Amino acid sequence: MKKSLLLASLLAALFAGCSTTEVEPMGLNAPFPELESKTADGAGADLSGAEDGAGLDSEELAKLKASDVLSERSIYFDFDSFAIKSEYESVIAAHAQFINEANAKVVLYGNASYEGSHEYNLSLGQKRAVAVKDALVSLGVSDASIETVSFGEEYANQECTGSACGQDRRTDISYEGE
Amino acid sequence: MRDFLKFFIILFFGMQIQHAAAIETIEILGGKANQIPIAVTPFDEQTLAAQKQPQKINQIIENDLIRSGLFDILNTGGVSSYPRNADEVNYSNWSAIQAQFLILGQIVSDTKSNTMEVKWSLVDIYKQNVVLSLVLKGRPSQYRAIAHKISDTVYEKLTGTKGVFHTKIAFVKKKAKDSYALYVSDYDGFNQRAIVKSKKPIISPRWSPNGEKIAYVSFEKEKPVIYIQNLVSGQRILLANFKGNNSAPAWSPDSKKLAIVLTYSANSQIYIINEDGTDIKQLIRTYAINTEPAWAPNGEEIFYVSDRGGSGQIYKINIKTLETKRVTYEGNNNLSPSLSPDGKLLLFISQKDRKYRVALQNLLNNQYLTLTEGPHDESPLFSPNGHMILFTYKDYGKTSKIGTVSINGLTKTPINVGSETILESTWGPITN
Repeated sequence: MKKSLLLASLLAALFAGCSTTEVEPMGLNAPFPELESKTADGAGADLSGAEDGAGLDSEELAKLKASDVLSERSIYFDFDSFAIKSEYESVIAAHAQFINEANAKVVLYGNASYEGSHEYNLSLGQKRAVAVKDALVSLGVSDASIETVSFGEEYANQECTGSACGQDRRTDISYEGE
Repeated sequence: MRDFLKFFIILFFGMQIQHAAAIETIEILGGKANQIPIAVTPFDEQTLAAQKQPQKINQIIENDLIRSGLFDILNTGGVSSYPRNADEVNYSNWSAIQAQFLILGQIVSDTKSNTMEVKWSLVDIYKQNVVLSLVLKGRPSQYRAIAHKISDTVYEKLTGTKGVFHTKIAFVKKKAKDSYALYVSDYDGFNQRAIVKSKKPIISPRWSPNGEKIAYVSFEKEKPVIYIQNLVSGQRILLANFKGNNSAPAWSPDSKKLAIVLTYSANSQIYIINEDGTDIKQLIRTYAINTEPAWAPNGEEIFYVSDRGGSGQIYKINIKTLETKRVTYEGNNNLSPSLSPDGKLLLFISQKDRKYRVALQNLLNNQYLTLTEGPHDESPLFSPNGHMILFTYKDYGKTSKIGTVSINGLTKTPINVGSETILESTWGPITN
């Protein structure tokens, strides 16, 4: 049975809406993937951390460009929220299908409006990227095809007021090789 | 001598009724009435150094003392004559303008050796005696530093606490969409110099408590990574470039470790790492965002922001026992925690009705107080003596600027570092 987008967003909402003030750790001694830090040798950007998938070939690129729904790359969120709204379900589904067919690599960039601290917004942007990632994964995309990066509020419009700031509350989908 | 502790530690806060938007009463014991009335007379100076200065020595001292919020600086314009030394003080002139203390001095320069000699005195007008008489020597280029030294000496003498007028701050300037720089300057914004320039954003600068290094987050690799830069050598190391985001560096009180935030395994979680990049350990792991760590001065607890309750609130964790407690309950969310040097006050940003304001919470009795109006105040940090707070605010909703507010809430003063947008700032330690 195909997992639905609704289930994924319900799960996300459940964890977000938990009003418990007690800590529920995932187990601090649980097995943990090996951390790989690049320190003094400072090698280049760790951006293409997506281990599966490849860049798009010219045929796939053409298909990507030709599609209307695939040209929609931004999913927008409400203030201080990372819940995916139902109006974006079809866009996400279309991208999920394309990613699988083309064996593509994607990077999801999470963003936030300027309200709130830079660091909290970096985290919120990350949550927004992860929310879209979880939605794609629930539609069958391989976890390892997706990298998530947050820009927080750093590229947001710093002078917007009211609903105009909604433009910055978003996750952008970007394909390697385009 | 005044007992300064009484001055600001006792904050009374009237009961806040649940669901009411307004804070009912705040009474700060010893507010305006307890400011020390002091006059700073123009110094007797016939030097070239003085002629070139944008501000005279008495103005620098006045601005220092005004910014602290603890002094009532009196206008000396109506006084008939300015004494050059303590013997020339006409006490009735100064008691006529209600001064309790007077600072005066004389500068003599020796062009041959390129030095200046500043003889200055602090005089008690009520008791009609000289409290201090000192001589400072230096190069003309140290004109401002000498003025700040005088301010520090007076401050410590009259309040019992070390002054911070000699200290430095660092701040991030955004000059254009693709031009960012991290600057270091005097605490009042003078003598700024860039130590990092980048086409990409720089955020979360943090000065190490021992003063040697600044940690910061850079987007130059197209994702947030943490650098530590040595202020003397200018060399930097890449502290953290793990998969995902690397951000929110927070120095331990002994400058040996940092708490940092990684999104290695999905959402932001807090880790502790040695300052040379070795030995990383995860401190907190929950399903929620955990970010903005801040160490308690005793090195035993870390305060941080988590949205496990639905939106950002401040919690604390004991590093050894891992016991965790929620700390803030007021407002819709509370962000950007930091601790006063004595560990008694929590400083943070509190949001209510989409307005972000600088707030304080007394950790012993949990009384809560907002110090600014907002609506978009950010990144508050204590001065190293805990008497002032540095923060970022939006100027008429447009450009971001930095400024200070005194701990008693009486004085808010911008720090003028130019017209560009200032993102975040950090304060260097006391070094004398």
